[in-house]
Amino acid sequence: MRRFLDRLYIASGALAAVCLASVCALMLAQAFGREAGVLIRGADDIVSWLTAACAFLALGHTFRKGELVRVGLWLDMLGARARWIAEIFALGFTALFAAYMAWAVVKFVFESWKFNEMAQGLIQIPIWIPQMSFVVGVLIFLVAVLDELVAVLRHRKPAYQVAEEERRAAGDFSETV
Amino acid sequence: MSVLASSLVLLALLLVLLAGGVWIAIALAAVAWFGLQVFTSSPPEVNLFQSFWGSSASWTLAALPLFVWMGEILYRTKLSEQMFEGLSPWLGWLPGRLMHVNILGCAIFGTVSGSSAATCATIAKVALPELKKRGYDEKTCLGSLAAAGTLGILLPPSIIMVVYAVAAEVSIIKVFVAGLLPGVVLTLLFSGYIVAWALLNPDKTPPLEPRVPLREKLYRSRHLVPCLVLIVFIVWVMVIGWATATEAAAYGVLGALAIAWWSGGLNRETFWASLMGATRLSCMILFILAGASFLSSCMAFTGIPRALAEWVASLQPNKYTLIAILAGIYLLLGTALDGVSMIVLTTSIVIPMIEKAGIDLVWFGIFIVLLVEIAELTPPLGFNIFVLQTMTGRDSNYVALASLPFFAMMVLCIVLITLFPGLATWLPDVLIGVTKK
Repeated sequence: MRRFLDRLYIASGALAAVCLASVCALMLAQAFGREAGVLIRGADDIVSWLTAACAFLALGHTFRKGELVRVGLWLDMLGARARWIAEIFALGFTALFAAYMAWAVVKFVFESWKFNEMAQGLIQIPIWIPQMSFVVGVLIFLVAVLDELVAVLRHRKPAYQVAEEERRAAGDFSETV
Repeated sequence: MSVLASSLVLLALLLVLLAGGVWIAIALAAVAWFGLQVFTSSPPEVNLFQSFWGSSASWTLAALPLFVWMGEILYRTKLSEQMFEGLSPWLGWLPGRLMHVNILGCAIFGTVSGSSAATCATIAKVALPELKKRGYDEKTCLGSLAAAGTLGILLPPSIIMVVYAVAAEVSIIKVFVAGLLPGVVLTLLFSGYIVAWALLNPDKTPPLEPRVPLREKLYRSRHLVPCLVLIVFIVWVMVIGWATATEAAAYGVLGALAIAWWSGGLNRETFWASLMGATRLSCMILFILAGASFLSSCMAFTGIPRALAEWVASLQPNKYTLIAILAGIYLLLGTALDGVSMIVLTTSIVIPMIEKAGIDLVWFGIFIVLLVEIAELTPPLGFNIFVLQTMTGRDSNYVALASLPFFAMMVLCIVLITLFPGLATWLPDVLIGVTKK
């Protein structure tokens, strides 16, 4: 189970990374194509879908790596016991909201599938196809939050905290704006 | 319920969630859900989907992950060593000598990187031990690195500027170009302070190093050329309108890969590391932007920003008073929030107010970016302080105090662009046009 979950986060993160690289490749192809007189139809639509996929598919992985930001100021000042309670509050709340989000997103995309809504651009495909990245991303995010909630309830240090501490110790600041 | 009461309820809820350590994007979205559910009859789940999807599936926003990736690639090259080697022979004659490498190095790296902490870390990694070895004053050295690192978000391309431009719906390229002159002014202010400090403390500057012949100087700087070419190229293609910001970002990635490959720092491992790092950072920013866009749509339904803007307009505040009050609020926010959150949290409220007061939105972008820069230096949450704290082992107060004079220079820069708004608006208006978005 542990290995499956870890692989799930890594795989979805890698897929998001591939989407990001594809955005770059597509932009370059479009720019060079324009010079050569070749027009890539609907490239703009694909770029925006890939950007969304990059954001949503990476959610679980980014969350585990402690890179979804939050205000950690007061948390760091708390003692061990109070911190534990605060983490459970934050994770519990986030899990609840992520579950709500998952429901809202699944409902919306299901309806768009049922009524066969089409994309409003040059590419005439059902809009639920690109929107699946949101569905999948939010579901993986929900799993990742529940995963951490269970770990904290069992008095284990959450993975996002471990990852953040490791990064600080290694002096790696490439991931902050 | 009155608009005032409902906005206070939402604000209180947001503060509780943020203080409780709830992830910022989730906190924003939860407040938006609450606002829609309680104060309006609009179905929140439909709004949630449309805001999140509409904000993320955006062609304009595609520039953001690409600029992030470009910075991540260059962060992993040997550029920092080459920057020190290439700049140091040229700057020895100035009072303060090699201390200016910190400033200029950060300014140059800042033009290819869109991040403040990464700029600071990149330059400090090499400059700090080298300057220490030569006996430079540690305090001024740390202060100059902490402050100059923030040039990364003022000089284009800048991740913070993309976030602002998207949130405030202004042209990314215009904000980029607007940052150029203030960036130069701030660089000069920093260097000017070092000159003044060195003249006042002549005993604290190590002796002049042996002169290097011109040919040797040029040879040592050869590695900086590709980097400079890349910067000029990216800004130039955007300004002449040959490429959009997103396309320019894609060229930037290509150029960064070429530089990394040429300097021998590119292999499969660093490529993946840069791509995954860029993906995580982009995911974090895009998710916050999506949450903020949901909150904005909730705000529009409740009418809070409009009411607030009208209220502020009815007071007929002096433009300078309004700017001073906003600067104070942002300074306060900056002590506890990161730059991206600072911007997305406030735009839905502040932008209508600014528009009503007749303040240029591009100018306001530069103003806000300068305040985000200051926020990087203000403890308890200042990322550049963290960077140098980790690198030197000094405590954060020491680093914060060391950067205090440079902090003053940044405040001076804000005063300057407030008194002479043309510093920010003249260049984009001339190059891109007043009306063109």
